[in-house]
Amino acid sequence: MKTFRYISALLLGMTLVAAPACDGLLDQYPHNAVSSDNLTDADAKLLLTGLYYIVQNKPTANGYAAFDILGGDLIRGGASGNKIPYLLVQDLVTEAGGFISGQWNGYYTALYQVNNFIQSVEAMAQTTSTSEMLGTAHFFRGLLYYNIASRWGAAPLITRPESKDVGCSPEADVWEFTASEFEQAARTAPDFTSKNYVSKEAAKALLARTYLAMGRKAEAAALAEDLIASPNFALAGFDKIFRGQPNMEEIFTFANLMEESSVNLSASLYYSRESPVGGSYTYAPTREAMDMFVPDDLRTAYSVDSQGTNDVVNKYGSGEAGTDPLCITRLAEMYLISAEGNGLEKGGLQRLNELRAFRGLPSVSPANERDFETAVLNERRLELFGEGFRWFDLVRTGRLGETMPLEEKYTRFPIPARDLGLNQLLEQNPLWKASAETPENE
Amino acid sequence: MKRFSAFICMLLGIVLSVNVFAQNQAVTFPQEKMRISEAFGIVERQTGLSIAYNEDLLDVGRLVTLPPRKNLSEAMKTILEGTGTRATYQGKLILIVKDNEVKDNQLRTYSGTVRDDAGAVAGAVVMIGSGQVNTVTGPYGEFSIRARSGEVLRVTMLGYKDAYLSLGSRTENLEITLALDKNLLNESLVVGYGSMQKKDITSAIGSYKPSELSSRQVLGADELLQGRIPGVNITSASGIPGSKNRVSIRGIGSLTAGNEPLYVIDGVPISNTSADAGGWSAQSMNGLSEMNPSDIESIQVLKDAASAAIYGSRATNGVIIITTKKGAKGAPKVAVDASMSLSQLTRTDRLDMADADLYLEVMNEAIDNYNMQTGSTVERLDNPYPGKPQVKMLDMILRTAFTWNANVSVSGGTDKANYYLAANARHNEGVFIGNELDKYNFKTNVNTDIKKWLSVGATVNLSYSRNNRVPTGYDIGSSLIPRALEQRPWDSPVNADGSYNKGGSELLNHNPLQILNEENVYIKNFRMYGSAYARFNICRGLSFKTSFGGDFMSTEEHIHYTSQHNYGKSVGVLTDARKSYTSMVVENVLSYNRTFADSFTLDAVLGHSFQMDNVSTAKQTGQGFPSDSFDVNSVAAEYVDVSTGMSAWALQSYFLRATLNWKNRYLMTLTMRADGSSKFAKDNRYGYFPSVSAGWNISEEPFWNAGSINAKIRASYGSTGNQGGIGSYAWQALAAGGYNYMGDNGLGLSSQGNKDLRWEVADQYDVGTDLSFFDGALTFTADAFIKDTRNLLYSKPTAATAGYTTFTSNIGSMRNKGIELAIGGNVGKGDFNWKGDFNISFIRNRLTSLIDDNEVLATDSMHALKVGKEVGSFYLIKMKGIYQSDEDVPQNLYDQGVRAGDCIYEDVNGDGEIDTTNDRQFVGSANPKFSGGFNNTFSFKGFDLSIFFTFSYGSSLYELWTGGYRLGNGVWTPLKSEALKRWTGPGTTNTTPRAIYGYTWNSTKFANTRFLHDASYLRCRNLSLGYTLPSRITSKAGIDKLRFFFQVDNLFIVTPYPLLDPEVNVSLNAMNMGYDFLYPSQPRTFSLGLNLKF
Repeated sequence: MKTFRYISALLLGMTLVAAPACDGLLDQYPHNAVSSDNLTDADAKLLLTGLYYIVQNKPTANGYAAFDILGGDLIRGGASGNKIPYLLVQDLVTEAGGFISGQWNGYYTALYQVNNFIQSVEAMAQTTSTSEMLGTAHFFRGLLYYNIASRWGAAPLITRPESKDVGCSPEADVWEFTASEFEQAARTAPDFTSKNYVSKEAAKALLARTYLAMGRKAEAAALAEDLIASPNFALAGFDKIFRGQPNMEEIFTFANLMEESSVNLSASLYYSRESPVGGSYTYAPTREAMDMFVPDDLRTAYSVDSQGTNDVVNKYGSGEAGTDPLCITRLAEMYLISAEGNGLEKGGLQRLNELRAFRGLPSVSPANERDFETAVLNERRLELFGEGFRWFDLVRTGRLGETMPLEEKYTRFPIPARDLGLNQLLEQNPLWKASAETPENE
Repeated sequence: MKRFSAFICMLLGIVLSVNVFAQNQAVTFPQEKMRISEAFGIVERQTGLSIAYNEDLLDVGRLVTLPPRKNLSEAMKTILEGTGTRATYQGKLILIVKDNEVKDNQLRTYSGTVRDDAGAVAGAVVMIGSGQVNTVTGPYGEFSIRARSGEVLRVTMLGYKDAYLSLGSRTENLEITLALDKNLLNESLVVGYGSMQKKDITSAIGSYKPSELSSRQVLGADELLQGRIPGVNITSASGIPGSKNRVSIRGIGSLTAGNEPLYVIDGVPISNTSADAGGWSAQSMNGLSEMNPSDIESIQVLKDAASAAIYGSRATNGVIIITTKKGAKGAPKVAVDASMSLSQLTRTDRLDMADADLYLEVMNEAIDNYNMQTGSTVERLDNPYPGKPQVKMLDMILRTAFTWNANVSVSGGTDKANYYLAANARHNEGVFIGNELDKYNFKTNVNTDIKKWLSVGATVNLSYSRNNRVPTGYDIGSSLIPRALEQRPWDSPVNADGSYNKGGSELLNHNPLQILNEENVYIKNFRMYGSAYARFNICRGLSFKTSFGGDFMSTEEHIHYTSQHNYGKSVGVLTDARKSYTSMVVENVLSYNRTFADSFTLDAVLGHSFQMDNVSTAKQTGQGFPSDSFDVNSVAAEYVDVSTGMSAWALQSYFLRATLNWKNRYLMTLTMRADGSSKFAKDNRYGYFPSVSAGWNISEEPFWNAGSINAKIRASYGSTGNQGGIGSYAWQALAAGGYNYMGDNGLGLSSQGNKDLRWEVADQYDVGTDLSFFDGALTFTADAFIKDTRNLLYSKPTAATAGYTTFTSNIGSMRNKGIELAIGGNVGKGDFNWKGDFNISFIRNRLTSLIDDNEVLATDSMHALKVGKEVGSFYLIKMKGIYQSDEDVPQNLYDQGVRAGDCIYEDVNGDGEIDTTNDRQFVGSANPKFSGGFNNTFSFKGFDLSIFFTFSYGSSLYELWTGGYRLGNGVWTPLKSEALKRWTGPGTTNTTPRAIYGYTWNSTKFANTRFLHDASYLRCRNLSLGYTLPSRITSKAGIDKLRFFFQVDNLFIVTPYPLLDPEVNVSLNAMNMGYDFLYPSQPRTFSLGLNLKF
């Protein structure tokens, strides 16, 4: 009995001693992350790599394809939907729909990470390396704001990590900021070494695109000419560009490697089950879009295809078996920017016909500026089909309403209802508030 | 059983301690003449003593003449005058013995048997006097005990009334017959860290004991509880074997922090982790289905905070305590249960689709309407196969499922040890071809007293299951029922040459037959849970128990799509996911129990517990296989996804409980628990959860003079916590790895963190009463409660401009209040017996505050949160009817293409537009107004008939599947019923719109009330008919009991819900509950089986 008392006392004692010792086990930390409260200099490089991942993936497939989906050349694939482009636009472009809010969330949450990076790196000692890293970050911020400005126009301008409510800045300010980001990147980003990394040249290309959108045509054309003159770049065939082969045409392309990607355009949007590699076939080209590619056009085979009874966009060929690179800008766009920027008057037609000749098509000879703009837009429609340009080309040239029977409000995206509710300073675009003024109200 | 008897002895010791003052108590008789039985009743009530007598010795029907008031011993003498008997006083017991028998002080051995109506009773405690001398009956009910003539033998057994026998000269072949005790107040209930008799309990505890007569053939413990306990509402995700259930106790406990109760199996808190590794969205698997329901002895549900607070931070949603079977002293007993079942999917006639003629009629009408309205020239459709019969793909993927179950257990014990061993094998087919779950369980439970001061025991449960799954979920394109319906009437899944017709080309959607044939998706699960303990009896009343519990699970998930599968990418895809889960808990508990001055009992528990859970996962997906017969990733051409993960959380707790009891009249329980969790920042780590409850057994009062009625009232308050659904590291701001580019490592900010995160706390008040009439033949329990939850944890949506779209924080509070009633009846006459249990609960939920009280927080396209509204409320556009003429359509809607025959939606803000931002409104809730169950068991001679209903009223269910309702938006076949009801001209209908091609207005544009249905139901959950062979036949074969039964599960359902099953749910989350996507209904199952005991 004595032994027993002894054992009991021992056990009780042990319990009392052991209990506080367990307290340390209440400190648990994750195995796949570190505290972001105190990042070191060495983390900056890792975070920069992270920015590539984030800016590549956050916009989602819809972010890359939105301007094609809404541009009148695509309709829903498969059996589920209607086959009329403007009804598709009306269905997708709504305040509450996920199509719009998904892109908004993608650009702004990516922006938060870029802003965080810029703030952290600016606080470090400045060296060539940090300057180049900042150049890359400014390129990314410019790219995000190009996407925001072209979609929403007036939007919150956020230049540092901000958890407070922020109101919209005027559309012109958003464009100015976009341009200034690319200008800064064009000065400090690394020189071009690979299409998969941000470079001064990539920044110049995007700056040209931005100037064009802002109506600063001459500056746009000049930058485009710079790049056309650069020994780094030359036009290449679609079989190279859109099947991942080496070429000199691409200026900046997200590598979008399968294991690093959540954006798969062919699997989630364009390819169909009839292809050997599969696809969900969400969107299909209209008959008109299929027919605009003539047999002589060297781009035809890699722009569209027919898989069994299904007409498909064919710029991304991996289907469900892989992912495809996401080209952000390439030299052909510079030919077209140069042509449009210079206009008929300043000899823009030469670049247009050079490109057409390279793609296997005869020269055109428009009679006036208006016809010339039409010709450039048609060429952009063919050249950049499936690369996210069409809707904004129609919007910035004021031709959306001519192409589809859509009200003016469809020239901007509405700010998502979710964010209007959560951010008290945010105001809906006046075009989208117009419905409140309809006479039925009385 | 050893522990039971020890427990009973302890109780008896308290009750029987000598009270010499009792005999001097005065007794008042209200009338002069009465029967002895009535007089005894008065004595018992006024003195608080019990009178025991043998009906052979005393005729209690005899009329006696009584004085108005006498002291007790005098009164007893008067009552018994002339009967040849006298009263002896033994503690709180008055024993009536033969007058002429005098104690002769000579010890003799008395022997005999104890039996009940059915036969010998093993394990009954036979004792002399106050129980110092006792023994337990053997396997044939036999006993022998040393006693003196004139002493009284007492036999007790749980579930029976005590029996007495005055010992005389006869020493052998004594026969004692036990009568069943219908009075549930004497039932012993397991509570946290201990057990109590029901009459001593002051909090709201529900109890269910599965019996052969009433239990259903189910996979898991949660299914057993369905409809059995008021306030406990069980909702299943679907009728697929092993699918998850939502067990909600007293309404909604939390928004996101989990609504699952804590499960405590034999004292070990078990996390109800999924039994899947999360690699496949098409179907989750319920961790509880790993358990063998046949091993369950009883289930207790701790509903109010006072009973649950001892489990502190995990108790807000209630605690379900499962006690498994143990052996009893005696020779080995063997029980064999076996059954075979056939199951079928019910109500498939609700899914009849339009045939080719009707389909073409509707589609061409839709196209004509479109062409006329827009001036377009869309081509009309033709039947490419005129005369081809309608292909019913649903019939091609369904079957009559076969299930068998076999369970064997062996149990027994000696004075010092007992054991229980069981094995179970089950083959459970689902109604879809290829869906089957095989499960094997083994269990041992061993307890032994090593020394007088030391007892040890261990229980181990092992299980292995293999679940062959089929896709039925919402977020997968291969979900079987929708895919089988969304085709054209003439579409066939397979061509004459055996090749598949593919979705997106020959077929409109994925081919369901191809999906079933070309995928192999299974989960293998190994699970072991159990515990071991050592108890030290330090001194009288004081004991120390140290225990270790563990739950270890290893899951292997295999998802193989062949090259022919629509997700097989033409090369074959294999995902191999593994998960290992370990949970360990160490507990040390000091218990003290003592009675002071015969009237005041103190029961105290003090403990410490530490629990740690670890999860580790690994998953790779490979693609490109030499042929479809290869299904390991080592031969894959490439890996598309490789990931591993690890996470852990820990919980340290201290707890204390004191139960005070004065003369069984006044009861009080106080508990306190402190919990520290790794899920919170250091400063907010510990939460404190107190409770207090009190009860009053009115019927124990001296003035109570309704002898056959027991009454108790009770009240409680307690505080509980919740940390369930929040991530292990939610408070920390993190930069995560895996943000790689071009093969280089990258970091990205992954979580903002919230150092202010704190415990979600619920304060709960409960009042209740337990009544029993006619000695327990009728029982009644009622409870009313209010539960206020504050610091609600929620992934609050934030503006994207702030960098994240959600932020885990404490955002508001809510209140649940409700009333629960349970009525039980048990009457019998001769061979006939009826037992009925009815329960019903009325529970209301209301959100009482949010960070911003005015905001409407939409949680998905159908639901929203708002102060004053129920969590789980539907927030939809309201459909008001159908425009009967174009003139009725407002101009700007007319401009958008709306015409006569289209839906009228309510324009809440009156701006002339219909949009989801301004025009949604609260239109119902996913929670029922009341729900419950009703069970009836009739028995007559060897026959038993049991019928069990569950019901629910007032909830709504949203049908998210629109495929059959589109009428021209897309070219899918409409439901036949919908096509026939469509609007075809003014006055034809005000509920179903016209057919119109191209426009989404009527179907997919808005989530609206057209698809919201009343989900009330009355379901005949189970009908069971059994026959037990007479023991005179079976005993010759050495069989104690042999029963055959026939059972029908889900015999019928009465419901206004138009599709398959009003009980299914895509989401089991409280905020988003109540929508369906053609989930399979719970099958109707016919079973034949037997129960054998020897």
